[in-house]
Amino acid sequence: MRLEPSMKQEVVRRTARKFAEDRLASVAVEMDRTGLFPWDIAKEMGELQYFGLEIPSRFGGAGLDTVSCSIVIEEISRVSAAMGLCVSVHNSVSAYPIYSFGNDDQHERFLMPLASGEKIGTFCLTEPNAGSDASAIETTAIRDGNHYILNGNKIFVTNGGISGINLIFTRTDPDEKGKNYTVFIVESDRNGLEKAPTEELMGMRGNPVCPISLNDCRVPEENRLGEEGHGLKIALTSLNGGRIGIASQALGIAQASLDVSIKYAKERYQFGKNISQFGAIQDFLAEMATRIEAARLLIYRASYLRDKDHNYLKEAAMAKVYASEVAVEATRIGVQIHGGYGYTKAYPIERYYRDAKVCEIYEGTSEVQRIVIARSLLGN
Amino acid sequence: MNIVVCIKQVPDGPTIRIDRQSMTVVREGTKSIINPLDYVALEAALYLKSRKGGVVTVLTMGPPQSEEALREAMAVGADGAFLITDPAFAGADTLATSHVLARAISRLEPFPDLILCGMQTIDSDTGHVGPQIAEELNLPQVCGVNEIHVEEGFLMVKRLSDNFLDTFRVTLPALLTVNQRLFPIRHLPLGALEIAFSQRDIIKWGIEELNLKAEEVGIKGSATRVQQLYSPPQKREGKLITGSPQVLVDNLIKKLEALSILDEEHGSG
Amino acid sequence: MEADKAIGGVWVFGDYRNYFQNRVTLQLIAKGKDLAEKLKTDVTVLVLGDQVHQYAMEYIAHGVDIIMVADHPDLRDYQVETYTHLVARWAEAFQPEIFLAGATSFGREFFPRLAKRLHTGLSADCVALEVDPETRLLIQTTPAFGGELLAEVWTYHHRPQMATVHPGMFKELPHDHEAVGRILYPEIDVLPEERVKLVRSRRQPKERLSLEEARVVIAGGRGLGSKEKFGLLYDLAELLEGEVGATRPAIRAGWAQEERLLGQTGKSVKPNLLITIGTSGALQYTTGLQGAENIIAINRDSHAPIFKIADLGLVGDANTIVPLLLEELRKRL
Repeated sequence: MRLEPSMKQEVVRRTARKFAEDRLASVAVEMDRTGLFPWDIAKEMGELQYFGLEIPSRFGGAGLDTVSCSIVIEEISRVSAAMGLCVSVHNSVSAYPIYSFGNDDQHERFLMPLASGEKIGTFCLTEPNAGSDASAIETTAIRDGNHYILNGNKIFVTNGGISGINLIFTRTDPDEKGKNYTVFIVESDRNGLEKAPTEELMGMRGNPVCPISLNDCRVPEENRLGEEGHGLKIALTSLNGGRIGIASQALGIAQASLDVSIKYAKERYQFGKNISQFGAIQDFLAEMATRIEAARLLIYRASYLRDKDHNYLKEAAMAKVYASEVAVEATRIGVQIHGGYGYTKAYPIERYYRDAKVCEIYEGTSEVQRIVIARSLLGN
Repeated sequence: MNIVVCIKQVPDGPTIRIDRQSMTVVREGTKSIINPLDYVALEAALYLKSRKGGVVTVLTMGPPQSEEALREAMAVGADGAFLITDPAFAGADTLATSHVLARAISRLEPFPDLILCGMQTIDSDTGHVGPQIAEELNLPQVCGVNEIHVEEGFLMVKRLSDNFLDTFRVTLPALLTVNQRLFPIRHLPLGALEIAFSQRDIIKWGIEELNLKAEEVGIKGSATRVQQLYSPPQKREGKLITGSPQVLVDNLIKKLEALSILDEEHGSG
Repeated sequence: MEADKAIGGVWVFGDYRNYFQNRVTLQLIAKGKDLAEKLKTDVTVLVLGDQVHQYAMEYIAHGVDIIMVADHPDLRDYQVETYTHLVARWAEAFQPEIFLAGATSFGREFFPRLAKRLHTGLSADCVALEVDPETRLLIQTTPAFGGELLAEVWTYHHRPQMATVHPGMFKELPHDHEAVGRILYPEIDVLPEERVKLVRSRRQPKERLSLEEARVVIAGGRGLGSKEKFGLLYDLAELLEGEVGATRPAIRAGWAQEERLLGQTGKSVKPNLLITIGTSGALQYTTGLQGAENIIAINRDSHAPIFKIADLGLVGDANTIVPLLLEELRKRL
C-alpha cells in the first residue's frame, strides 16, 4: 500500500503550484472584488492543458490520472477557489462526459475545443424546482424529425457566463411515466439558448454563475450525447467524478486557510507573547491540520479507486462531504485566529470563508452525500 | 546543433537535512527541484534548438532520485536524458564531479557542439563544475552569459563580469554557463509531464559504463573534504523589544543616540 | 624556468580591475601575510596585464613581499585561457602551498579552471581562512547548503590549496610608502590563442553609491510589502546620512537595483550601524552583514532568524514603525 504520491505526482503538484502562485495569485483578489473572469489567464491555462486534465493527448488533453487531477485542482483552488471551481467543473462534468459517452464526431466538434480551453464547458442540471431532487427537472426535449426542440430553465450554472459548450440535462418524455432523461450538447451561440445576467454570490466570485434558458432551441440529433434515456447514467457517472474534484477544491481552500493562519499566528503579539504560544491557537492549528490531512487521504483514496476502475461511489461521497465540511470549519477557525483583522479585506481569510460555504451545497449537498454513503452501507 | 545541458537536482528551500557522518546532504524526504539556473540553461538550449535545429540532451550526476529532474527536463523539451549514477560517485567535490561529467559527455555520440550549465547551484554555490568540465574537455568557456545571439558559424554572447559588459565571439565547440537574466522561466504543460514520466526512456551510466576507477570518483577522487559543518556562531546581544510602534521607535532613537548617530558632527555629508 | 624554492609559500592572484573600489587583493595580501607568518614563508602576488607596474607598486605599499609580473600587450584583457596557461606554468614551476584569489566574477571563473589544470582542490567564496602551522593545512570556511550553514573545508593532499575569498572579509594593511618588495619578471613563453574572442569590453557606468564604505546602512527586504514602502528607506538613509541596501527578494521584486544587493552574492558591508527592515534573516543575506558593528532589526515575526544576529530587535510592523521613525527624526534634526 503506497500512501505517497509518485515522483510524477510530486512534479505535477510543484508545476501547478508554481503556475498558480506566479500567474493566479495576482488576479485572485481582483476576481473576487469585480466578479470578472480573467480570460487572459484562462487562455494560458488552456495552452498548458489545465482544461483537458484527464482527456487523452490525442484530443489535446494532458491525459493525467485522477490523483494527479485532484492535486492540480487543489493547487489551483489554494490560490483561487473560483478558478479552481471553473477548472474542476469544466473537466469532470463537461469535458469528461463528452469524452466518455461521445462519438467520434462529437469528440472532434466539442471535446477538442474543450480540452484546449478554447471553449469553456458547463453541465446544466439544476432548475428552480429541481435541486437535490434532480429527477424533478422540467426541461423537455421533444423530437422533431432529426432535431429536438428544447425548452426549459436552468439555474446556478457554474461557468455559465463564459461557456461556449453546455451539456443540458432534459427529459425526452414529458409524460409522468418513463422519465426518459437525455443529455444534449448545446453550443452557447445556438439560437434559442439564452444566458441571463450572472448571479451575485457570497463567494466563488469571478466564476460567472448564471441561469441558462432554452426557448424553442432547435438542436440536431448529432448533438445528443449517447442515446435517449442515457441521461441519468451519464449524469451520475460524471457527478461521481465531479465530487472528487469539488472535494479537492475544498481541500485547497482549507490548506490556504491553514497556511495563512500559521503565518498570522507567528506574527501577532498579544499579552506580551506571540499568540502561537497560546494553547487555544495551537489547538486550532492542530485541529485544522489533522482534518486537512484526513480529507486529503480520502480524496487520494477515491481518486485511486477511480484510476483502478473500481467502484468509488461511496468513497467519492465521503471525500466530498468531509473535505467540504473541513473547508468550512478551517475557514471559520482561520477567521477566528486572525481576530478583527480576519474580518477585513486586508487579509485573504475572509474570502476563503465566503468561498468555502458553497462546497457543502453544490455538486450534491452534504445531506445527499450522506444518503449515498448510507445506501452503500445498507446495500440499497 | 547538438547541445548538452548539465543539470543538478538540489534541495528546495530551507528543508535541508545533513548527514553528519558523511558531511553530505540527505536526499530522501527533502523536496527537490532542478537548480534554477540549470533550468535557465535548458531554456537557452531549447531556444538555440528552435533557431538552428538539432538535439538537446540533459545529463545529471546524482542519486537515483535525480531521475525526477531529468523527466521534468524532458517535459520542458529535452530530447534525451542520461542519469549518471553510482554509489561510488557520492560525496564528490567539484574536481571529481567535473571528471565524471566530462567523461560522460565525452562518451556521447556525437560529441556536443555546445555544453550549457547554470552559473552556480543554490546548494553548493561554487560555480566550479562548468569551468572544470571545460578544462577537462579542453573547451573554451564563457561564464555568466546573459545574452546569446545565433550567427552563421558562431555565437555572440554577452555577460556582465565585475562591472564590465563583455561581448564574446564564440566558435564551437564550447561551454557556456548562464546567469539569471537570460530567459524567463516557462510553465510546464501538464500533458508533456505525463508523457515525460510515462513514455520516455532514460539511459543510466555508472562507474563501469564510464570506465572509471574508484580512486577517480566520489570522496576518493576529491581533493577537498568537508571537515565539519556548523551553524555560524552568534555573538550579538540579541535584545528583543515588543510593544506599540511608539515604544519601538523610542527604543530605536535611544539606541541611535547611544551610538552618536544623531550628533551634529556626524558624517562627512 | 628556475625552481626558486624561496618563492613557494602563499600566493595571491592580483585582481586589479576596478581598483580603487575593488580592494580584495589588498585584503588578501593582509590575510596572506598573516598566514605566511605562521608558516614562516612569504606572500607573493601575481600580476598579469599590460602596463601594470603601478599595481605592483600599490601591492608592495600594502604589504606584499614578492611580486611576479607578466607585462605584455596580449594580456591586457582578463582572459581565462591565457591566464590559466601562464599561471599554471608558474605554479608548477614554483610550487606554492596556498593560492588565493578574490571571489570576483573573474576569480570565480578563472580559479576553477586553474585548479582543474593543476588537479587540486578549490573552495569558493570563503568567509574565513586559518592555517595550522603543524600540518601546514589551510582551514577554509565557506558558506554551505545555500548559506544556511558554514563548512570547514580542508585540502589534505593536493597542492596548492586554492580558495577564492569573498570581498570584505579581511582588513587590508595601511598604505606604507616606505615598504619594499621584490619584483620578478618570469619569462613569458608563447601565449595560446584565445578560442573565445573578446569583441568588446565596456566598463559599466560607475556606481555613485559606496555601500561598502558607508557608516550607516539601511537595508530593506520583502517584508516591506511594496516599492513605495521600500522607498521610505531612502528618506531614512538621507536623515541618518547612510546608504540603502536590499535583499535578493526585494531586488527581484524590482524595488531596488542589483548594485544594492547585500549578502553572499552581493556586497559585504562594515558600517558602524546597520538597520535591517522587513528582512527575515536568510543566511545568504546575513553573511554580508556580520561586519557591521551594530545591527538593529525590525520584523513582524519574533521568531525571524534576523533577530539572532541583531544587537537590538524590534518586533513590529515595519510599515507602521518606519513612518513614525521618520516623523520623530525630522522633529529632532
